[in-house]
Amino acid sequence: MTSATLLFLIIGLGLFAWFFGRLKASGLKASGKSSRSALHSLPNYHGWYVALWAIVPAAIFMAVWSFVSPALITDAALASPASAGLPQGAFARAAILSEARAIAYGNQVNAFNPLSQSMVEPYRDAISYYQMIGAVAALLMVFACGVYAWLQIKPDLRARTKIERVTMLILLLASLIAIVTTVGIFLSLVFETARFFSMVSPIDFLFGTEWNPRAVAGPRGETGFGAIPLFWGTVFIGAIIAMIVAIPLGLMSAIYLTQYAPAKLRAWMKPILEVLAGVPTVVYGYFAALTVAPALRDFAVSIGISGASSESALAAGVVMGIMIIPFVSSMADDSIAAVPSAMRDGSLAMGATHSETIKKVLIPAALPGVVGGVLLAVSRAIGETMIVVMAAGLAANMTVNPFSSVTTVTTQIVQLLTGDQEFDSPKTLAAFALGLVLFIVTLLLNLIALRVVKKYREAYE
Amino acid sequence: MNDDQKMQEPSESVNMTDLATTGMTSDGGTPKMTARHVDVFYGDKQAINDVSIDVNMDSVTAFIGPSGCGKSTFLRCMNRMNDTIPIARVTGDIMLEGEDIYSSQMDVVQLRARVGMVFQKPNPFPKSIYDNIAYGPRIHGLATGKEELDNIVESSLQRAGLWGEVKDRLSDSGTALSGGQQQRLCIARAIAVDPEVILMDEPCSALDPIATAKIEELIHELRGKYAIVIVTHNMQQAARVSQKTAFFHLGTLVEYGETTDIFTNPREEKTRDYITGRYG
Amino acid sequence: MNSLTETKRRPTDWQGAEMQQRIARRYAAERRFKALGMAAVMLSASFLAFLLVVMVGNGFRGFTQTELPVEIDFPAVTGGASPSQFQGPNANANVQSMGLREIVDSSIEIQYGQDGTNLFSSGGWTAVNAMILSNPDIVEQKATVYLPVISEIDVAYKDAGNPEAEQKVRELEDKLSTGFNWNFLSNSDATDPMQVGIWGAFKGSLITMIVTLLLAFPVGVLAALYLEEYAPKNRLTDLIEVSINNLAAVPSIIFGLLGLAVFLNFFGMPRSGALVGGLTLALMTMPVIVITGRNAVKSVPPSIREAALGIGASPLQVVFHHVLPLALPGILTGTIIGMARALGETAPLLMIGMRAFIATPPSGITDPATVLPVQIFLWSDEVDRGFVEKTSAAIIVLLLFLLTMNALAIYLRNRFETRW
Repeated sequence: MTSATLLFLIIGLGLFAWFFGRLKASGLKASGKSSRSALHSLPNYHGWYVALWAIVPAAIFMAVWSFVSPALITDAALASPASAGLPQGAFARAAILSEARAIAYGNQVNAFNPLSQSMVEPYRDAISYYQMIGAVAALLMVFACGVYAWLQIKPDLRARTKIERVTMLILLLASLIAIVTTVGIFLSLVFETARFFSMVSPIDFLFGTEWNPRAVAGPRGETGFGAIPLFWGTVFIGAIIAMIVAIPLGLMSAIYLTQYAPAKLRAWMKPILEVLAGVPTVVYGYFAALTVAPALRDFAVSIGISGASSESALAAGVVMGIMIIPFVSSMADDSIAAVPSAMRDGSLAMGATHSETIKKVLIPAALPGVVGGVLLAVSRAIGETMIVVMAAGLAANMTVNPFSSVTTVTTQIVQLLTGDQEFDSPKTLAAFALGLVLFIVTLLLNLIALRVVKKYREAYE
Repeated sequence: MNDDQKMQEPSESVNMTDLATTGMTSDGGTPKMTARHVDVFYGDKQAINDVSIDVNMDSVTAFIGPSGCGKSTFLRCMNRMNDTIPIARVTGDIMLEGEDIYSSQMDVVQLRARVGMVFQKPNPFPKSIYDNIAYGPRIHGLATGKEELDNIVESSLQRAGLWGEVKDRLSDSGTALSGGQQQRLCIARAIAVDPEVILMDEPCSALDPIATAKIEELIHELRGKYAIVIVTHNMQQAARVSQKTAFFHLGTLVEYGETTDIFTNPREEKTRDYITGRYG
Repeated sequence: MNSLTETKRRPTDWQGAEMQQRIARRYAAERRFKALGMAAVMLSASFLAFLLVVMVGNGFRGFTQTELPVEIDFPAVTGGASPSQFQGPNANANVQSMGLREIVDSSIEIQYGQDGTNLFSSGGWTAVNAMILSNPDIVEQKATVYLPVISEIDVAYKDAGNPEAEQKVRELEDKLSTGFNWNFLSNSDATDPMQVGIWGAFKGSLITMIVTLLLAFPVGVLAALYLEEYAPKNRLTDLIEVSINNLAAVPSIIFGLLGLAVFLNFFGMPRSGALVGGLTLALMTMPVIVITGRNAVKSVPPSIREAALGIGASPLQVVFHHVLPLALPGILTGTIIGMARALGETAPLLMIGMRAFIATPPSGITDPATVLPVQIFLWSDEVDRGFVEKTSAAIIVLLLFLLTMNALAIYLRNRFETRW
């Protein structure tokens, strides 16, 4: 019996439990002389009370069992006579066992190692044995707990209160997932990065200027993990070129749409700009690689710029800037809208023209909000992956020539982690170190930006 | 300032005009601004109905009336601040020294420099005190050099009675001042472009009594230098600061005349009811 | 009061030439500024227009294929097969066993010479296979079928290809025709651009989205309700809020790293499967749902809660009977927007191995799968020119789905948005 079937079975039994619980409570209600005082809670809650008792303990048991049983299964398989022929080396042994396990579970069809094949049968036996134990125990728990709860049903049972307490717990658990995810991200990155730094010195990584992770030499003293060219490429594309495109266009669009545009035009243009933000990044990447990059290269060649590459920083940066426009414009829109209209009126009443009011009063007043928005936009740009993967290239150059190719942190993460990977090589682990740097930088940018924006909002509330 | 003076001023102007007989027009002296048969519409809704009124250089004119009576709307027509509301439409004539302010020849930027405005809530720009005052002269190019600009800032602040309080901290933010100081800063800011008329839209409604008293003193000081129109909710304030009072009700001008007459001997039933607190 | 010691200012000469000039300059600046704003809006919009034109222009051809007619004399080549063989449960097996590929090839060779098969896409015969299954009577007739040509000729016919292919196009000009490329909608990934389709990737996307929705929606809604309605003001709540705001802004590739390190390497879930993809995307989507959900819950006026509390509802009943139903349209709008974002997401799925070559559509959450955006990415990397239009065609399909979802979200917002 697979765990999915078992789970469905338990839930089905839970339905029965709900039904019987409700039935008993309804019976109590009907027999009670004055129904209100007879039953504390509605029969439904009693149903849920029994159902939860039936399902939850069994489900918890199943979860625990699925953690415990693999170890038990492996022990049982190793105890079988077939395990006598296994090699003593821990690594080879583990490889064989994992292959046998994969075949036994049906995830893999054929064994590469004949030794694994011999281990499949003991594994299958152990698996079915322990699965059976787990299923029987789980079903017993369903019945035992369900019957216990059913017997509990009395007129004065505070079923509703109990159900509500459980629901509240579920709500809290749902909220905690956010924290768990954040901690999960941080720990997994830190853990893998620590392993990386045990092979490559953090100093070399953070301040080295040569990035060539293919040239991994030996177990110590590796070279080619200097990430400075990556950091430069990321900043060059995401924080410089993209922002040169996005800030003026986004800001001016927001100004025009909020201050000048007739209502009808605004009603049309705002969603159109939002569509720009909704286009998937892979489409932008393709657009950059297929259309923008060749056009820019031809342009660069025609005006005689040497070293023009078809994977230019400019192409990736410009397209990324286009993607960011709606982001900047909606942040600027919000910030300008938050400036009290009294400011605008005050300036207009002095005889300032509209543009003077905007340039000298509204923008300076909205500046903190706009700056916060730009920081968020930068954080988004440097974390953007697909555009740079498809359009920016892999050459780790330290150049300020926008027509030449540079590479970025995200490009290299994808590069390092796709294709064949051995999980313990510094090459793979370097991706996590890069990920950690990216995570910390974007986190800081976001925290600063949110704080700036919040302060600014408070100033006008 | 003391009460004696306040009581004297209205009586001084009694002989200047005789509105009881001439209706809404002023006496023989040239009025600074005149409005004739002004209607204002917001979309389909008529907010002002056939208002005619004169504003004189040497007197403070108060607009009073219950909420929503159109007094602020009318005030905002006088320097075309209603232009910022797309659905607002104004018909009739409003003249500034004989020029129709709604004609195509009239430049709205110049108009607003000549007809300054002070708002209900103090609205200093989030800039330094100096830059707040210098903003108007800078955009209009009224000063040729730093020195002249300094002079304008100083004289404007002096006229607004704020110079002594802020002269040592001109580079502080205007928003750091107290509410009353902020409102006087806004008045100084309006004065700095050397306007002919100053419109005040309930300038004291957001201030405490002490700050209010200071603003009222200031209005006394400024009388005669500028034509001042003040919208107020507060009838005592109208009686204290103005020489003429206009009573608006439901978008129409019910009565316009000497402040003393309006408050002691109104011609209209409605005015009497409002003054005596029957409604509003 | 202050003594007025100021010097008297000269009255401003508003009508003077200098002032008039100055005003003219200021108005010119005003017009320039306005034009600049207009230009910015137009430029941004034209970027979008340009992008769409490029994609549609390229992708439109991806839905068509170039075909050549092949006459197959079924009674002769099959040696008298009867239609009944291709009906009923054994139909598929019988078609498989009749050696259709050779039959088609020989028919081609009869009409186009020894090298005739080189003109045709190698998987083209499967179309005949499908044809027989849908209409078994065909095996008793002489039939003309239209089979797709090889990619080079296809490209050359539609646009401009290499000289060799151009030459072939000129030779076959009057026989070549264009047909709708049904393969593109029903096939999965392949090495031959004439045989690729998006069905496999589409199905992968669908399964992944279902997993994402099932995980992210309940968790997101419950978390939003907790934070907005019950959460006490304490350190834990602050921490949850900070976490959610940060998760919403964490680069998507980081989620991919999380999926790789935790789901694949720590929990040992099956690689490349829709389960891990859906889980990873659910973690990304959940904060979006929480944030929009909270706004929706917040916009339900307190009077509703007070009214319900006032007649003796418990806090939980207040929320689940009154607040949640009223906030649901807003929550759904946010959910659709979050799902649309997840549907277009590529980078995190590359990290967890959903970039494999998937020639058969996945049938479960643990089968190796790929999704539409990843398929687009994979095809964009192909050198064969035939893939360019397929990539763009797949982009059109993806954009259509996103557009539909967003339109639905806007419709929901407008239809159910209540102004309190």
